[in-house]
Amino acid sequence: MFLRMIRGAFARQWKKMLVIALTIMLGTSLATAMINVMLDVGDKVNQELKTYGANITVLPKSASVMSDLYEMEDAGAETGSYLLESEIGNIKTIFWAFNIVDFAPFIDTDVTMESGSDVKITGTWFNHHLDLPTGESLDAGVNSLRSWWDIDEGEWIDEQLLSENEAAAMVGTVLAKREGIKAGDTIHVKGSAGEADLNVRGIFDAGGDEDEQIYAPLDVVQALSDTDGYISSIEVSALTTPDNELAEKAAKDPGSLTIAQYELWYCTAYVSSICYQIQEAITDSAAAPVRQVAESEGAIMDKTELLMVLITILSLIGSALGITNLVTASVMERSGEIGLFKAIGATDWTISGLFLTEILLTGLVGAVAGYFVGFGFAQIIGHTVFSSSIEMKPFVIPIVAVLMLGVTLLGSIPAIRMLLHLDPAEVLHGR
Amino acid sequence: MSLLELKGISKIYGDLKALDNINLSVDNGEWVAIMGPSGSGKSTMMNIIGCMDKPSLGEVLLDGVDISKESAKNLTEIRRDKIGLIFQQFHLVNYLTAVENVMVAQYYHSLPDEKEALEALDRVGLLERAKHLPSQLSGGEQQRVCIARALINHPEIILADEPTGNLDEANENIVLDLFKQLHEEHTTLIVVTHDPEVAEVAQRTITLDHGRIKSDKINEMFGKS
Amino acid sequence: MTKRKMFFRMITASLVRRRSRMLVALLAIAVGATILSGLVTIYIDVPRQMGAEFRNYGANMIFMAASNDAVFDMDAVDKGIDVIGSGKIVGVAPYRYETVRIHEQPIVAAGTDLSQVMTTSPYWMIDGEWADSDEQFMVGRNIAESLNLHVGDLVNVMGPTEEDSEDQLNFGLDMKLTGIVETGGKEEDYIYMSMTDLETLVGEGELDVAELSVSATGDELAGYIDKIGSEVPDITPRLVKRVTQSESTVLGKLQALVFLVTVVVLVLTMICVATTMTAVVTERRKEIGLRKALGASDSSIIKEFMGEGLLLGGAGGILGSVLGFLFAQYVSVRVFASSIRFQPLLLPVTILVSVLITGLACAVPIRNATSIDPALVLKGE
Repeated sequence: MFLRMIRGAFARQWKKMLVIALTIMLGTSLATAMINVMLDVGDKVNQELKTYGANITVLPKSASVMSDLYEMEDAGAETGSYLLESEIGNIKTIFWAFNIVDFAPFIDTDVTMESGSDVKITGTWFNHHLDLPTGESLDAGVNSLRSWWDIDEGEWIDEQLLSENEAAAMVGTVLAKREGIKAGDTIHVKGSAGEADLNVRGIFDAGGDEDEQIYAPLDVVQALSDTDGYISSIEVSALTTPDNELAEKAAKDPGSLTIAQYELWYCTAYVSSICYQIQEAITDSAAAPVRQVAESEGAIMDKTELLMVLITILSLIGSALGITNLVTASVMERSGEIGLFKAIGATDWTISGLFLTEILLTGLVGAVAGYFVGFGFAQIIGHTVFSSSIEMKPFVIPIVAVLMLGVTLLGSIPAIRMLLHLDPAEVLHGR
Repeated sequence: MSLLELKGISKIYGDLKALDNINLSVDNGEWVAIMGPSGSGKSTMMNIIGCMDKPSLGEVLLDGVDISKESAKNLTEIRRDKIGLIFQQFHLVNYLTAVENVMVAQYYHSLPDEKEALEALDRVGLLERAKHLPSQLSGGEQQRVCIARALINHPEIILADEPTGNLDEANENIVLDLFKQLHEEHTTLIVVTHDPEVAEVAQRTITLDHGRIKSDKINEMFGKS
Repeated sequence: MTKRKMFFRMITASLVRRRSRMLVALLAIAVGATILSGLVTIYIDVPRQMGAEFRNYGANMIFMAASNDAVFDMDAVDKGIDVIGSGKIVGVAPYRYETVRIHEQPIVAAGTDLSQVMTTSPYWMIDGEWADSDEQFMVGRNIAESLNLHVGDLVNVMGPTEEDSEDQLNFGLDMKLTGIVETGGKEEDYIYMSMTDLETLVGEGELDVAELSVSATGDELAGYIDKIGSEVPDITPRLVKRVTQSESTVLGKLQALVFLVTVVVLVLTMICVATTMTAVVTERRKEIGLRKALGASDSSIIKEFMGEGLLLGGAGGILGSVLGFLFAQYVSVRVFASSIRFQPLLLPVTILVSVLITGLACAVPIRNATSIDPALVLKGE
């Protein structure tokens, strides 16, 4: 009979049930979308912050102490040690390889132009194609690492399109203006170990010191300074977790950690643990976080996440109140029916059970539909804002389910209380 | 001339003839009871007289005007001006006080006038209860508010649907006494009921059965009890 | 008594005496309005608040000498700042680079305003403390390691050896090393001291560069660049593109995120408000039937019920505006540790939107209710 009554309620009250289901669906979709976006926003913003460029620099161990100093003393000296070009790929083999977004090696030397002026030329990767031992492949280099550069004339060098033995270059806007260089020109430069004719592919505006330099592929510069197979630094852009106390302690001296702390630190994407792992992967290297980028990233990500958490809480409260409201309103509406049930001898328990079952069944339908709608909302947000999809974490499902169950039950409390206090005689008497 | 005249009224729902060729006229000041078992067509007839429904066939003349073809909007106006309704379920607005409930009828009719509304309540003996909400009134009191509301616009016909259906005997008598007073003041009363005791006190009793008038007789005892 | 008075008497009676139902509806509207005003306030204020966070990246504009013979000193910098307006300036750090000697090693020393560096380069990690008075200095990590300097050392810093100016030969200062600078960048190769100390060591001279942190983005900054370029002949202003460009990108994305979230939350809340209002009105079908039976015209029923709905909408809107502002304020203080700007225009907008939504939500069920046959409602329960 219980089932029959429930069936009857659905068959005859489907419109009201639909409204309740709809509201629960909306609430669920909101909760699903917001929680998923909230959980993913850190990663997404982190990706965006990569436009600030590298957050880790890797230098030769000895150079990290002295080389810049020596260069200041005597710019021409070749006393610094180097990193091996062949080891660059190792960066993609560390524990946190997946978090390494981009990287580029650098080597520079001074060359003399035809006009007689000395200019710094930097060799690097532009969009170097790399096949990793893991079987993956990726394109890395300054084309993406220096996303803030404006190309005033011409275009970025595309390493895949360069013909064999072609020496291409890009020239900084300040230098180009001073020397009257345009995209498409060929410039002759003389280095310490050789000469080269460079085809100028583009003029860039970096808004910094680079504007007075020439950028060329790695091998061109290595040939000019006789440093084949060597590089002087690597810039790495990695997705990192904002630092905490543990990370700061580890950054000073990983040896001071207990084994458990060390494991935790090693297996968390702190900028210090990634640096540590890079040092392990590249011989005689010293990797250090670029404070300007690493520090600010942490602050901005923390703020964004907190902001999203608070907005999520607000919208959850909003949808909870919305559902509570509607459940209350719809139960109140049926006081006549309840009075009747009571009059014919139904106990408070049977009536409450009947109503709760009805509402929970409706809620279940609404919640399942809501999850999928929420999925859609999250993806819309992901694609519009970050041009990538939001990862739907499975553990959100039980959270949302419990939340909705609680909210629906909570919403039924005033209604149930009201129906328990209802005097059947009063109801049936009209008022 | 009679106040209300039904000429060949039929109301047909699909195959069912709720009313079947009814002819009836009610004079000004008459007190008519309409009786009949459930499903005899009482309610349909009451709705038609009360301008809440239109007959499928036939004419309804109220004050000599045929209202059977009027639009719903005009019917609303006619009902407002000429008919006072009393319901079995009282139908008071539950968040308005007694006097406010009376004033609602004035409001839709012309202008609300609290003094006049209070006079109407005084007449049904509820002056002291004027500021009470329906939930604070007994069933009989609620019905008296309903009567005061029906009277307030001086309608030509008072149409009561089972006015005592929800009342105990004491309250029933109070209501019937009020009807008597109204009758003495020459108000036309049409009372739909299935209670023979209520029908007895009327001047004329019409009995319906299966949509037809089974009997239409003047009550000899009228005015003597 | 006029009709209007009775109209309001009925509406207020309905609102006051049906308290619990009306509270339900009012709550729904207030929640909707709270979310509307709260999120929109945050949305409007996010660029300003986040912009402040982005100043963590440090200077976004630099001044340099316009040409070799231009006079580039603090006066010129101040002229440039006047163009921007001091309210927009987060910090200004002038820099002068000169070679000095420590332990007979030539070192590049930067003379600057050390307290301002804290604002233009907030990302510096200092092992020790900021130098905050004369005869104190900080050194870059690379220098500290190669020269084996430690925090707290008293270091003799010497001026340059110049054959042609005998009087400055071996002129030195004993300075206290208060902190070691770690940045992971080229800053680790310099030492930092106050401008006065540098002048004591090497004599007076012009500035090399001034770093500015300006709380503005994209086009606004570009506008300042043009203006300073034309109005202050001695300096060439430039944007630190890496910072400005990236800031616009990230900030744009963040604002788009908050915007979309606001829209989604709002749409859903509005639907919730609408369904609640629909339920509240539908509940009163019988009363509408009764009023019709008493001779109410459709238009007067619509007027009464809408009047009630709109009043609720207005009250909910006002309540929501206040709560929304409080929420936004709370978020702002929690997240950004600064209070939010009140948006006066948002108050009428929130109230208007609440009234509109409530009106729309009531319109459909009220319209439906007016088409009810009063006889049916009054008879059949």
